[in-house]
Amino acid sequence: MGVLTAFMRGVTRLNDVIGRGIALLVFAMFAFLILEVAFRYLFNSPTVWTNELTQMLFGIYAVMSGGYIMAHRGHVNVDLLQSHLPPRGRAVLDIVTSVIFFIFTLALLYFGVSMASESIASWETSYSAWNPPIWPVKAAIPLGTGLLVLQGIVKLLEDIAVAFNLSYYTPEEQKKEGEAL
Amino acid sequence: MSIEALTLLFFGSLLFFLILGLPLAFVLGGVSVIFLYFTWGFDSFYMVASQIWGTMESFTLVAIPLFVFMAMILERTGVAKDLYRMMHLWCGGLKGGLAIGTLGICAVFAAMVGISGAAVVAMGTIALPSMLERGYDKSMALGVINTGGGWGILIPPSILMILYALITGVSVGKMFAAGIMPGILLMVLTAIYILVRSHMQPHLAPALPKEERGTWPEKLRALRAVLLPIGVVVMVLGSIIGGITTPTEAAAMGVLGALISAAVYKQFKWNILQEAAIRTFKLTGMIMWILFAAHAFSAAYQSMGAQELIEGLMAHIPGGPWGIIISMMVITFFLAMVLDPVGIMLITLPVFMPIVESLGFDPIWFGILFVINMEIGYMTPPFGFNLFYLKGVVPPSITMKDIYKSIIPFVIVEIVGLALIMIFPEIATYLPDLFF
Repeated sequence: MGVLTAFMRGVTRLNDVIGRGIALLVFAMFAFLILEVAFRYLFNSPTVWTNELTQMLFGIYAVMSGGYIMAHRGHVNVDLLQSHLPPRGRAVLDIVTSVIFFIFTLALLYFGVSMASESIASWETSYSAWNPPIWPVKAAIPLGTGLLVLQGIVKLLEDIAVAFNLSYYTPEEQKKEGEAL
Repeated sequence: MSIEALTLLFFGSLLFFLILGLPLAFVLGGVSVIFLYFTWGFDSFYMVASQIWGTMESFTLVAIPLFVFMAMILERTGVAKDLYRMMHLWCGGLKGGLAIGTLGICAVFAAMVGISGAAVVAMGTIALPSMLERGYDKSMALGVINTGGGWGILIPPSILMILYALITGVSVGKMFAAGIMPGILLMVLTAIYILVRSHMQPHLAPALPKEERGTWPEKLRALRAVLLPIGVVVMVLGSIIGGITTPTEAAAMGVLGALISAAVYKQFKWNILQEAAIRTFKLTGMIMWILFAAHAFSAAYQSMGAQELIEGLMAHIPGGPWGIIISMMVITFFLAMVLDPVGIMLITLPVFMPIVESLGFDPIWFGILFVINMEIGYMTPPFGFNLFYLKGVVPPSITMKDIYKSIIPFVIVEIVGLALIMIFPEIATYLPDLFF
């Protein structure tokens, strides 16, 4: 197994493990919100922290999803043209359009890093009544974007292999596993 | 370069990369970054990054994963099956009864969940085989499920309405309240169509034979099936409309209701919950990444100064304000053929909303028209989600062509409903004015 193959499998695996873990945050968000309602009506003592904590968890949940969804081909697209092309044609097309993908994600990564490092430098907090540290959530932006970029590189390598018949990657039947609204 | 050329180039390149098959989120984000670079300079993207941060911090949006999670759990419980059995006993004797009953179940489902897929999948697996077995016409059975499934986004709660409220700044509670009567209107209209059609052509939707109709004790016992769904609906909508909780907390109440239902139907198992959590993650994440990219889109759009241009263009549309509203409906209708609802919303609303408001129309009323339009988009090829969901669960003897053919009369009924709400805005605005 070459370095490339190992890298590709490693990244996909990493995104999968992280995604499966982060997906479980929905249980925590649910629990905190119910707790808040219970505190407010059953014990007459609303909390200052549940809503804000839920909100922070949601931020992490949302931004960390990019790479996992990409690994499962779950970002919604228009496949009017693609469905009429052979795999090689599709791969060539995806290589071309990946430029746009990288422009967006790398710009986001660049500014995400600068936003997060500013926040970490001052150990930024939210200045609310509860005043929790929010730098970990800001740090999730470059982290999640980084994972997405890595998965994008894997996708690009796959497409290059398909387009030029290279041996480091053998395409399996890639099924779209996205969910729609 | 002139604003006209720049705007044309901007929307043209969005469309171009979409057709090439790049996911919507990255098309919106990437193309916008390029245009931002040429208008406001690269550093303006810092503003976009901080807007993304703002989205991550939105408490309203937390409702999305919870409503989705609730739907994913309910889809797996036996709720739909029991509801169908009850409906079968009560409506089966009527010509077209099973079809109308299926509509009713779709409406109940829509009132429990905020997405359209759950009802389509549940009814496609339960109601469709049962209707076909009893001699219902293919087109009738497929069309009913397709149209009823779409109500998930119109009858509150609705993920799409949450996003609409977020973009336009109207209250989520008001949007939810506004969806109730239009939902009932569409149900009544569709039911009338089925009744009339099945009386004129009884072979399309025959009444059940006497021995299958069930006795009164049986019928009454079957009524228990509605208790749980009604409980869930009351927990969610009751908490919002009664002012007990925020919409986000109400979504958590809905998850609680769904978990209770799962426990009642002995489906409270780790693998079911975990699968639901992962599907929720995929759908929520997909929506959120489109939303992140949409910030770049609206920044780029503003930076070019295209707003005045579009407003100027709109002024040339014949028919005055109504001509403009109708052409907006036509534009979204066509966009719905190639794009998903979240994308359409995020592309068109920043353009449409200032115009709608400056013309003096009620944004809540416009939102309902918009959502119904999206719903028609769900039903119509080539990009209708409901069509694909349905194709995924029907027996192989039913082709995509059968599904396409089945929707035509139902789409016409929906358009009639849309027109009625345009002419009588009170259908949408009465309840929100009453409650809030």
